[in-house]
Amino acid sequence: MTTAAVLYLGAVLFAVGAFGTLVRHSAVGRLVGVEVMFAAAILTFVTAAAGFHELDGQAAALIVIAVAVAHAAIGYSLSAHLDRSP
Amino acid sequence: MTSEQLAFAIAGAVSIIGAVTAVTHREPRVAGAALLATLLSLAVLYASLAAPLLAGVVVVLALFATVPLVVHLTVPAPRAHRTAPEPPMAGAAAVVGAALLVLLTLAIAYGEVPVNVSVRSADGYDLAALGALLTGHALSAAITSGTVILVALICAGTRSSR
Repeated sequence: MTTAAVLYLGAVLFAVGAFGTLVRHSAVGRLVGVEVMFAAAILTFVTAAAGFHELDGQAAALIVIAVAVAHAAIGYSLSAHLDRSP
Repeated sequence: MTSEQLAFAIAGAVSIIGAVTAVTHREPRVAGAALLATLLSLAVLYASLAAPLLAGVVVVLALFATVPLVVHLTVPAPRAHRTAPEPPMAGAAAVVGAALLVLLTLAIAYGEVPVNVSVRSADGYDLAALGALLTGHALSAAITSGTVILVALICAGTRSSR
């Protein structure tokens, strides 16, 4: 397993997430696409940390995870609220 | 093909197929399950990249955030027949989670749980160094992200309770 292979995987995942975000019309579908893009970004950070033998990438990945959790909490609560509203 | 390459091939294929299914499927339950499979396969990749803490965090988030959200979005809540107050399950879960966190902190403080763990013997994984990094020159970013997640959770809870 090389670093380039994992970076390519991250790029493919980001492209899939971007495609879903641009194509889907529902709010939940777009949120799922953004979550996939967040996962691709985290994978890229972790791969860079392993490639450079530094922990800075993992620290950045933890911060991205926190932002992704905040995004998911706000987004899903808003979508659930919109679903409940008449 | 080594076992590491085999794990990468399987986890990579599952993550791509899961991501494509998650963003293209119209059924929320299937999309949520596919997103869960993607996150878990990425956790396997994180563990193989010598990041077991991130793998654990992703597994915990996938099991305790993605699954409840999928259930919440796909199972309709009964509105008309809610007569008796429900047991405070959320409060009990928060108490149990806080107790487990305190136990883990105490175990680390007393040396029962080693903070220097290693997935691969060639390169160790120093959790203490990561903590020093987050409290060092990445302190402002860590505080900002913590504030963001705290505000987001408060806003989400407030919005959901209305």
